[in-house]
Amino acid sequence: MRRVWAMGAALTLCGSVLAAEVPFFEDAVASGALPPVEDRLPATPLLGEDTLRRELGQYGGELKLLMSRSKDIRLMTVYGYARLVRYNDAFELVPDILESVDVRDGREFTLRLRPGHRWSDGHPFTSEDFRYYWDDVANDPELAAKGLPRELLVEGQRPTFDVIDEYTVRYTWPAPHPGFLLSLAGPRPIYIYRPAHFMRQFHKSYADPDELARKVEEASARNWSSLHYRNDRAYRANVPERPTLQPWRNTVSPPASRFVFERNAYFHRVDAEGRQLPYIDTVIVDITAKDLVPAKVASGDANLQLRYLGMGDYTFLREHELRGDYRVAHWRSGRGSELALYPNLNANDPAWRALNRSPDYRRALSLAIDRHEINEVIFFGLAKAGPNTVLPDSSLYDPAFDRGHLRDVDTANYLLDGLGLAERNRRGIRLLPDGRPMELIIHTAGERSAEVDMLELIRDHWQEIGIQVFIRPSQRDVFRKRVQSGDAVMSTWYGLDNALASADMNPRELAPNSDYDLNWPSWGANRMNGSGEAADDPHVRRLIALHEDWETATDRIGREAAWRGMLAIHHEQVFNIGTVSGVLQPVVISNRLHNVPVNAWYSWEPAAVFGVYRPDLFFFDSAGAS
Amino acid sequence: MGAYVIRRILTMLPTLFFISVVVFAIIQLPPGDYLESYIAELQAAGETVDMARVEFLRTEYGLDQPLYVQYWRWISGLMMGDPGWSFEHDRPVSEVVGDRLYLTILLSVLTVLFTWLVAFPIGIYSALKPYSWGDYGLTFVGFIGLATPNFLLALVVLYFANVWFGISIGGLMDPEYLDQPWSLDKAKSVLSHIWIPVVIIGTAGTASLMRRLRANLLDELDRPYVVTARAKGLPEGKVIRRYPLRVALNFFVADLGNLLPQVVSGAEVVALVLSLPTTGPVLIQALQSQDMYLAGSFVMFLAALTVVGALVSDLLLAWLDPRVNLRSGANA
Repeated sequence: MRRVWAMGAALTLCGSVLAAEVPFFEDAVASGALPPVEDRLPATPLLGEDTLRRELGQYGGELKLLMSRSKDIRLMTVYGYARLVRYNDAFELVPDILESVDVRDGREFTLRLRPGHRWSDGHPFTSEDFRYYWDDVANDPELAAKGLPRELLVEGQRPTFDVIDEYTVRYTWPAPHPGFLLSLAGPRPIYIYRPAHFMRQFHKSYADPDELARKVEEASARNWSSLHYRNDRAYRANVPERPTLQPWRNTVSPPASRFVFERNAYFHRVDAEGRQLPYIDTVIVDITAKDLVPAKVASGDANLQLRYLGMGDYTFLREHELRGDYRVAHWRSGRGSELALYPNLNANDPAWRALNRSPDYRRALSLAIDRHEINEVIFFGLAKAGPNTVLPDSSLYDPAFDRGHLRDVDTANYLLDGLGLAERNRRGIRLLPDGRPMELIIHTAGERSAEVDMLELIRDHWQEIGIQVFIRPSQRDVFRKRVQSGDAVMSTWYGLDNALASADMNPRELAPNSDYDLNWPSWGANRMNGSGEAADDPHVRRLIALHEDWETATDRIGREAAWRGMLAIHHEQVFNIGTVSGVLQPVVISNRLHNVPVNAWYSWEPAAVFGVYRPDLFFFDSAGAS
Repeated sequence: MGAYVIRRILTMLPTLFFISVVVFAIIQLPPGDYLESYIAELQAAGETVDMARVEFLRTEYGLDQPLYVQYWRWISGLMMGDPGWSFEHDRPVSEVVGDRLYLTILLSVLTVLFTWLVAFPIGIYSALKPYSWGDYGLTFVGFIGLATPNFLLALVVLYFANVWFGISIGGLMDPEYLDQPWSLDKAKSVLSHIWIPVVIIGTAGTASLMRRLRANLLDELDRPYVVTARAKGLPEGKVIRRYPLRVALNFFVADLGNLLPQVVSGAEVVALVLSLPTTGPVLIQALQSQDMYLAGSFVMFLAALTVVGALVSDLLLAWLDPRVNLRSGANA
């Protein structure tokens, strides 16, 4: 049986529409340095149905953003959000760089490029760029000693790769691979193509050996492969010479305190009148201290800012709306929980590990938290108290998930007594079976003041059930190491990253998948690369089995069943403890900036922060806006 | 005097060597190395980590070598003028530091000058008019500077400088000059910004300086030689300048050695808060991500400043105060 799932080319605009030249490039085109716009656009530029719902804009202006480290410019790859396929603002997958995708039986993917699409340096973007990645990067013994990225494997099996013609490539797996397109659409996608014409100068198989040796020497790299690697980090946007397909390209080499991104003359999207996007000419990224961001925003030093702003800055930001000539929108966080507590099921301490693995213990901790108080005290009552699970806006939401998070100290005490923790010391602190008092250290990266405030409240709540809590902030990397090594018994982080999930999205956050998992780092490592230990908790094994079901499901019904099963296990087993969700995120938008949605989701995945809201459609209402 | 100078300079070498060992050891103290922080960061961003790649980088950066080999690589490079490779920035340390060093030095020199310009007149005035309204008032202002945390003061001053004078927040120049070559306008922009960190870092130093000058000067003012000078009819200003002030300055010169590193290191936090393009923020970032050569070379620079400062203050002291004994090892 042949089942074709095609993502159409229905909305790509016909090339015959004569587009107006972009003012930014008028001089370059007049002098012949750049071909006219109709020759720069692919034969079938992308219109995109979300374009039709927006205002038509005008060209020009500088978008000013604030970030805190040179490295953060990689977020421009997230905001720009040009992907082979991407999510639209309804979180459905649609082709973007690709003209179309044909999926057969969930395992054969035929990717079709847009004829005439070019890299930002004007070189054609073709199937050769995919072939270069496949033959000369992914399968080069020196560049990829450990083989393919995990996202390209299904049950450990590799795809076969075929070049059909100049604009068509095909990947075929022996089994269905629903995760493939998702990993191309993510905020941090896998890159299965390279600017071959640019990368060849760093590749042993292509470059002139003397020339390459000179370049390696010049860059003080160790060998050609490290030089290749350094120039091959598309996501980082740190090599200005490297061509890109993003709406804006970086023109400044890091480290710098100011990065200038200029519009890509060959960008493949157009607006409803056939004019080439993006509307905005340049994006300036100023690197500044995190703590200064609210003050700088208030003085008008940024015209679109969301990062490093929190509800705590809200009043300050509103007070200065006039001075900074901006408005403050609130987007709703798409996370499962603003703060979740993760008992480490792989903790080293045997007594604590046994407790962490006991569902009653986890339930007791959850019941003892006064989520209502947290919501009122820290979030002005605007958030929603509840467990760490998908949000009501997700099609996978079940009202039953919301039950069992109301505070019930009696039941919590009853559960703990039942676990043999009834004895208490003089201070009223329960004793572990080995006689030590229950002094629980909660590890946190302590990066947000709201996080620390929430933990302070939770400390009081747990004190009431006889557990003494100590909060231990440490630097992010040290924090992770402590969890991974099992030194940390309990840690905190955000809840589910993607709580707006649909059945087609990967439920990987719900099962052990990486040694970065705070719940079960060792089990996660085991599934990631075979190190660590294999999961021995029956419920966790069930989660793994369901995740595998999802990965091999051939239809949406199968994927939805897997998702629902996993969510139900989480609901019942309380593997991690959520607090509040739907927190408001202030977004500062210049009054002159149009097409930025007022009501939107703030989420890394699937929204790619600004990405799905199409920053290439944002525009300033008078040219040269500052 | 010549032998003293040479002896003093020679003792600096083993000092710097010991400091370098300690610096290297301290930077290695936190668990893990740069690559581990790097892996953690990749994972945080949702990227799968290619362990083969990590092993490859470990060899490339020499992190698989024993510590003493890593130390030797670093220190021998440093002696040849090569401060090493910054993993974080993927660039030689010298390139990362670049302009920042000059701006740091500019900022430090201005801060020292500011401290002196404020503290000296006030210190002398309050010694001459002790327990007066002026004395109390100025001392009070000085103590506020001492008591307020620098970073807090920085935020407050920054905010009002923006609201009242329209100076852009943070940095040492208006953002539009950042990527431009030096010009008159750019220099002007730097001058309009640099007074904020200068005042903030400087205020902390002024209070202690003025109080000590006041105390020392008060001790001297009633000495017989001062009374004699006055009795001989010297004008009051000359009496103060020629005699008691010179003696009272002894402490100040002896302190010079500490002043340099204090100004530079005290500025790290302020620099971070104000996001100044100085060495401070880079150093703190480097320490956090365990970018060891970058951090190490920086800290060595600070240490060298201290040692040089101590030398300068010893030499000045020897010149200023004939009572200082150059022969015995007590001062060395």
